[in-house]
Formats: sequence, structure tokens, C-alpha cells
Amino acid sequence: MSRSRTTICAWVALVAALIGLVFAGLSTLDYAAHLDRGLHDVHCSFIPGAKPTSDGEACRAAMYSPYSALLKDSRWGGIPISLFALGAFTFYLGFAAYLLLGGRTASRRALGFFGLVSFAPLTVSVAMLVISLTKLGQVCKTCAGIYSASVLLAIAGAFAITSLRSNEPRRPSHWLMPLIWLVGLGLATLVPAVVYAASVPDHRPFLTRCGELQQPKPKQGELVSLRGARPAQTALFFEDPLCPTCKAFHERLAAERVLERLDAQLALFPLDNECNWMLDSPLHPGACIVSKAVLCGGDQARLVLEWVYENQETVANAGKSGPQALKALLRQRFGDNLARCIEDRKTETLLNNHLHFASDNGIPVSTPQMYLGKRRICDEDTDIGLRYTLNQLAPEVLR
Amino acid sequence: MNDEPEARGPSAGVAGLVGIAVALLSLTGVALAVRSEVNQATERLLAPQAERPKVAKADHAEVAYCTPRFKEVLERVLHSCGLAADETRRGCKPADVKTFASIDDKDFNELFTPLRERGAVLLFDENLHELDEAAKKLLDDKWFARKGARYFFVVARASKTGTQTKNRALSHRRANSVMYHLKEAGQDPELEKKVGLLWLGNEFAQLSKDYCSWQTSRPDEKCDEQAINRSAFISWVDCRL
Repeated sequence: MSRSRTTICAWVALVAALIGLVFAGLSTLDYAAHLDRGLHDVHCSFIPGAKPTSDGEACRAAMYSPYSALLKDSRWGGIPISLFALGAFTFYLGFAAYLLLGGRTASRRALGFFGLVSFAPLTVSVAMLVISLTKLGQVCKTCAGIYSASVLLAIAGAFAITSLRSNEPRRPSHWLMPLIWLVGLGLATLVPAVVYAASVPDHRPFLTRCGELQQPKPKQGELVSLRGARPAQTALFFEDPLCPTCKAFHERLAAERVLERLDAQLALFPLDNECNWMLDSPLHPGACIVSKAVLCGGDQARLVLEWVYENQETVANAGKSGPQALKALLRQRFGDNLARCIEDRKTETLLNNHLHFASDNGIPVSTPQMYLGKRRICDEDTDIGLRYTLNQLAPEVLR
Repeated sequence: MNDEPEARGPSAGVAGLVGIAVALLSLTGVALAVRSEVNQATERLLAPQAERPKVAKADHAEVAYCTPRFKEVLERVLHSCGLAADETRRGCKPADVKTFASIDDKDFNELFTPLRERGAVLLFDENLHELDEAAKKLLDDKWFARKGARYFFVVARASKTGTQTKNRALSHRRANSVMYHLKEAGQDPELEKKVGLLWLGNEFAQLSKDYCSWQTSRPDEKCDEQAINRSAFISWVDCRL
């Protein structure tokens, strides 16, 4: 009986390690591809080997999140955690091969060691799943592939532990062996990360190549203040409240506690041709009305903005239904005063001034955009390279 | 399975070696793949193969009527009459406009024809330069409908009644009335950089009666060639000058 359990354990571990290797490999591949500062589709499928697509928002959100990599302050993009998974799964693959071939000759220490360490990936996976659900609100399919491999590995570990209950004689092994295997697991886990860290190109020369603001800001009070609690650096954002990338960016800045260290101002740049003459058709219908609502928030503008971000899908759908539906939604949430303010000519002029500020400075017609002082942060440095860029250009923001 | 002879399987040592080999081989493969992928990204970073997609730059509006001829005349008037951002002179008297525009009356007026929907004509009483309430409201409506335009043109005129000197001064005062109201209503510190003032007296580019059909501040009053020239034409110009 124990022999069959050992064999099942080995096979399950083998399959788990292979699945883990594939999904961790795809995740690493996506991450490494972005080191060229280009835009790339990401693998986001349960089918290993499926082509990367642009429809991978959950995987992209996970990749851009602060939880996807370590040492983000000192390496552009950091060291993706999928590399540690890759290394660990190579160890489990080797150990599974050993158990498969060793069968009954595998020592009790080997089975016990495997039974214990096979739960490590599951522990990390559960932690990451909780982060995905609570912080990101979604689970990426590639990550789910790694979670599945971790579950399978834990099942294999459970088989290994139950096979120890049998009194069948097994080959003894030296008491030091578990320590040696543990060191092996640690080394294997670290090797891909070390190789990656040693190969990552130097991004410093690229950080300051995206220009500066040429024209001064509009008069005091025209832009929306996003002043943090402990500001250490002035900043300016161009955002569209209905743009999903802006929402993700804003939430990332808040999660990384960067917003609280900035004396930031927000210029609204709705990608909606109802007020923005730079577009032929609306990319985000209703964004002009929502931008006016943010302006009408006055001292509470940030609350309005963050409410829109939290409910972006609902607000965007109302925007697609038409101005009346959108205005009704905003009135329902913020009351008649804000609804009247949206219709006020002064609000329209104020929003128009925001757009003219953008055109006076010839900024790219895309959102979000970030300026530290007058310097424009390149788009590619506002996602996985954000912390590194801030650490290089304004380290005080990260303290 | 249980009674399968142990001797058929490999020894613990062999199994261990195979396990180590599998782990080392896969780890080496992973390390090489990671390094290769990072190196490829580095090569693309240092020597990009493909041109990065160009992103449009934000700019002021530019619509179909901004023909090269239209822009040429407006630019000449803007710069020569000191209306542009960094100049200190402000405004042009009729003779200057005629000289700087280098264009005859008819062509000058035709240039503004595409602004029929965008602009409006503010009408004044004879010999007066004060804006009435309707004119102020129409001016406000047009001023706040700026959208992407950068410059706001005010072209004031006087009818043929009276002397040239008197009409020059009268059209000048009418242009200033518009400017004064904008200063009052808009509270815009950048106003001077946005508004181009021209006053033509009765000497240059008089409007024909056809312009009575344009949007005016007195749509219900009788409009003739005299009345339509007691006016200030106003419009944002959606051109990148």
C-alpha cells in the first residue's frame, strides 16, 4: 500500500512541478519582455502555450501591482516572484523523479521532508490569492495556474506523509540529508532570481527622456488638489476618471503610499469628445460630465474622484447609457448641489482650462500621465518601473 | 504493487542521482531561458527594431476652414497689429489692418464666412458704443463656448454715417466695450493673450446686407447695411496660428 502511495505521490508531484514550471515560466516571460520598456500583450489563459492577448487585464493588474516583485526600489521592475516559483518547482521536479524511481527505497526522512516542504508553495499561493482577492479584486489566470500546481503539490505531500504511517521497512538515510535537501531547495529557489537580477539592463539613462512641462500651471486653485498627508515633492497628474488605467495607477500610488508623500495636483483630461476637441469620437463616453463632477467636489474633489474609481464600471455604463442616466447617478450619490454645479457654465470653463493647459503643453493624448516637478515620467515608468523611477528621481517620496 | 520485487527498481543511489540530475538540468534550463529572455529584452531596449507607436500630442483645435490663406492673413494681422502673446502694442487702426492684411475688403470678409456658425454680430445704437443686455448675453454665450480655440477675434466697425475720424474712434470704443465686458465677466488673467482687437471704422471691409442673416444680438430688429456695420463681429477661431 505504501509503495503505491509513494508512486502516486511521485506522479502527482511530477505533474504539479511541470504545471508550476509552465505557468511560472509564462509569468516570468511576460515580466522579462517588459524590460525593453515596450508595450506587450500578456499570457492570461488556463491553457499553457496559448498566445498572449491584449485581453489580459487581470494578469496585467497583477503584474503592475506592488506584490508581483521584490526589490522594486533598486531594480527597474524588481525581481518577479514567479522566478522564485520557477526555481522551487525545478527542485520539486527533481525530488519527484527521485521518489518515482526510488519507490520503496526512498527513505522515511525523504518522504517526511517532501511532505513538509510540499506545503510551502501552497502557503505562498494562499497568501497571494488573498492579496489578489482583497487588494486587486481579481485573480489572474496565470497566477491561478501556479496556485493549482501548488495545490497538487500539497496533495502529493499529503500522500507522502500518509505513506509514512505504514510500518514497512525503508532504507535509512543520514540525519543531515533533510538539511542538505533544504539547502538545495533554497539554492534552487534563488538561482533564477540571481540570474535575472544580474542580467537586468540599466534603465537610468531612459528615465529622463520624456520631456518637461513648458507652460506654467493655470492660476492657483484651478487644478484639483491631491495633496498628501506628508508631502515631500510636487507632482502633477493628467487623468480621466473613467479610464481603467488611471484607476489602476491611482490605486497603485495609494497602495504604495506614494500619494501621501506628494503635493500633487490633478489636471482632468477626459477622453470624451463632448468637451475634448482632441478626439474625434468618445473613448470614454460621459468622462466630461464625470470630470465636471470631480471639479464640483471642491475640497472633496478627491473623494469624488476615488468614488468614481471605486465604481468605475457602474459609472462608465451609465455614461454609455447617456448624459441623463449619468447625471442621475451622480445626483443620487452627491446630491442636487453637485448636479447643479455640473450644469454651471463656470464648471465648463474650468474643465476647458484644464484641457487648454494640456494643449498648451503639448502633452501626449493619453492617460494617465505623471509629472514630478516639471519632469514628465515616461509611461513605461508608471507601471512596473514606478518605484525604481521614484527612487531615482525623488527618493524622498519613498521614505 | 506491494509485492513487486524491490530488485527490479533502481537503487536509492541511482534514484537520488537521477533526481539531482533532473533538478540540475531543469534549473540550468530555466536559468538559461531567463537569461536569454532578459538579454533579448535588453537588446530591444538598446537598439529598438520597430518604431514605437506615435501618440498624438494635445493641441489647440484646427478645423476645416483654417486654410493656409486664412491662417496667413490672420497671422499677419495678429503679429503686425501687436495682438500676439508677448507684444506690448494692442490693436490696429483701420489703415494698419488694410496694410498688414494685404488683402482687399471683399476677400477679407470672405475669410470670415466660415465663422458664420461659430461667431456672431453684436449690434450697437447709432453713435454709441455701449453693449446692451442682449449683446452682453450673446457675447457671454460665444465667449464661454471656447472649446479648443486659442484666439478670440473682435472686429468692430462703424457705419458710413459721419466722418472717417469719428468712425475710427467710434469703432475703437466699440471694440474696447467688448474687451471691457470680457474682463468683467471672465476674470481671466490671460485675456490679453487670447483676444485680438481690430477696429475698422468705415474705411475697410464694410459688411454687406447679407450679414444681417448671421446671428446678431438684435434678431428682431430691422437690419440694413447701415445697421450691420454699427457692430462688432466676435468669434473664436479654431486654428493653430
